[in-house]
Amino acid sequence: MNNDSIITAGVDIGSTASKALIMRAEDVLSFVIGPSSVNPARTAETVFADSCEKAGIEKDEVRYIIGTGYGRAKVLFADENVSEISCHAAGAHHLMPDVRTVIDIGGQDCKAISIDDNGRLRNFAMNDKCAAGTGRFIEMMSRILEVTVEEMGNLDEQSSSPVVISNVCSVFAESEVINLVNEDIKVEDIIKGLHRSLTNRVAVIVNRVGLRETITVTGGVAKNAGVIRALNEKLGIEIKTFDNSMDPQIVGALGAAVLAKKKV
Amino acid sequence: MEVLNDFYRVAENPYEYSRELKKSGKRIIGYFCSYTPEEIISASGVHPIRLFGTGGDITLADSHLQPYCCSLVRGALEEALEGRLDFLDGTVFPHTCDSIQRLSDIWRLNTNFGFFADVVLPVKLNTESSREYFADILKKFRLDLERGLGVTITDDKLKTAITRYNNIRRSLKALYEMHSKEPGILSGRDLWAVTRASMIMERDDLLVKLSLLKEALKKGGRSGKSEGKKRLVLAGSVCDHPNVYTIIEDSGGVVVWDDLCTGSRYFEGTIEENGNPVESIAARYAERLVCPAKHLSNTARGDNIVRIVKKHDAGGVVFLLLKFCDPHDFDYPYMKEFLDRENIPSMLLEVEDSLPSEAQLKTRFETFIHML
Repeated sequence: MNNDSIITAGVDIGSTASKALIMRAEDVLSFVIGPSSVNPARTAETVFADSCEKAGIEKDEVRYIIGTGYGRAKVLFADENVSEISCHAAGAHHLMPDVRTVIDIGGQDCKAISIDDNGRLRNFAMNDKCAAGTGRFIEMMSRILEVTVEEMGNLDEQSSSPVVISNVCSVFAESEVINLVNEDIKVEDIIKGLHRSLTNRVAVIVNRVGLRETITVTGGVAKNAGVIRALNEKLGIEIKTFDNSMDPQIVGALGAAVLAKKKV
Repeated sequence: MEVLNDFYRVAENPYEYSRELKKSGKRIIGYFCSYTPEEIISASGVHPIRLFGTGGDITLADSHLQPYCCSLVRGALEEALEGRLDFLDGTVFPHTCDSIQRLSDIWRLNTNFGFFADVVLPVKLNTESSREYFADILKKFRLDLERGLGVTITDDKLKTAITRYNNIRRSLKALYEMHSKEPGILSGRDLWAVTRASMIMERDDLLVKLSLLKEALKKGGRSGKSEGKKRLVLAGSVCDHPNVYTIIEDSGGVVVWDDLCTGSRYFEGTIEENGNPVESIAARYAERLVCPAKHLSNTARGDNIVRIVKKHDAGGVVFLLLKFCDPHDFDYPYMKEFLDRENIPSMLLEVEDSLPSEAQLKTRFETFIHML
């Protein structure tokens, strides 16, 4: 079998979403994003099977599979497990060779990853156990504000006088938002304040590894345009985003498939 | 290696062990931090045991201490207030960080263990006057013990204690060196249990067990494999988390040395056996590897961590800091600078009495080890 037809896969079992991606040589054949469940082993099998079907291949055509994400140990059919930090670095570098800083904002944590000119990991920092600065924060707030997570990402554009959310803790911030709602503050002003609050937490982590351009954002929260706008404003630079064919939430699984290719 | 079980039994159930010791007629004094001049306590015939935090919830202590005190200080007070330290005949507080100093006052007012002493050690250790002061303070401590416990501490007893502790420190160092040379002979968790038990076990019995262990290791020990594992140094205050070693090993690394209060800072540096015993003890504590609550020189700590990494051929350093531990937190950027200058990678992990979830820890360690 020549190099051009080798098929690899990455399976990324995150705290909120489970992802699988199939790659042939440099080309992404398919990817699938589904919700995580209380049975990560079965979820891993499902997303992998679905992505194979979507790619039109049989499961046994995949030469090497890398599992990643919090549930990586539960990807029982994987040839190897690699931490999601290494995978996000590899995936982002594959799509954007000049990237030097990757911010991965997932469902329950946030990581800043610094990579060198050869795409190798230089340094990383991640948030502690709390939900501030993560997708969970956005989800909690969307529930109180009765808007969808998708709507959250754009409503902030209508904000004229954004509020300042002073509580770092997500649970306290929740009470703060309830107070603001009761004071008749406009939802869009609260949302912009929330995006700024989240990016303040992210900026702390980014500053710990040092800001080096080019910088991009991966993970589910990268799909929230309002967070990206707030990050641009906070960091004072332009974050480079992936083109529309690439979902930022799949970058970890992509990186796993890229690393898998190096193993065959 | 049956002898390891003895260390584990003591390390994992220090209170049970202490109560048994108490039944045999021993009096017991609890102490905090490796700056406690244990030799003098030992010479008094009373058994010194080191107090760590708690493995359980903290509720009673929080009505006395602010939440920004470290979990070690809050946890230790919790254990006392919960009545779990009922075997103690006294407690000794060496003057180190702010939290330990204030804990001392709160402890004195809210517990009742009999003997109580603050050993107000100097902070700056590199002046002639501080050396004199150090020796004076230890002379006072000797008198306090004599009066408080109704005993006589002769020079001969002090000399015996000095020899005992020199032997313990040399043995611990020898074990660390054997492990650094061949990490497969003991797991990190094993070495943790041995070092922790060394601060709890009856010290003459300890020496017997340490030499039994050394013999067992010469025969190959656990004969585990350590090829391909990344060699790491653990740095920080206390490490009361055996799981850290296991998770590092599961992630492809191995801790080959440390700069910890419950590790090399405890055993590095022996005491001159032929001089004036109290002055010799003072000299050892003034010259030993320094902790960030003390000052020896502007470069002592930074140079030391670099020297450890080079000597033990380590690929990186893991800083394990207790949340709210100001001395170590303030020192961290300084320590990191020394390592950065030598291109030695390091990572920072902040912990409390309980560790973050294992999945998150594994992600951090795996990535760090992958990066090396």
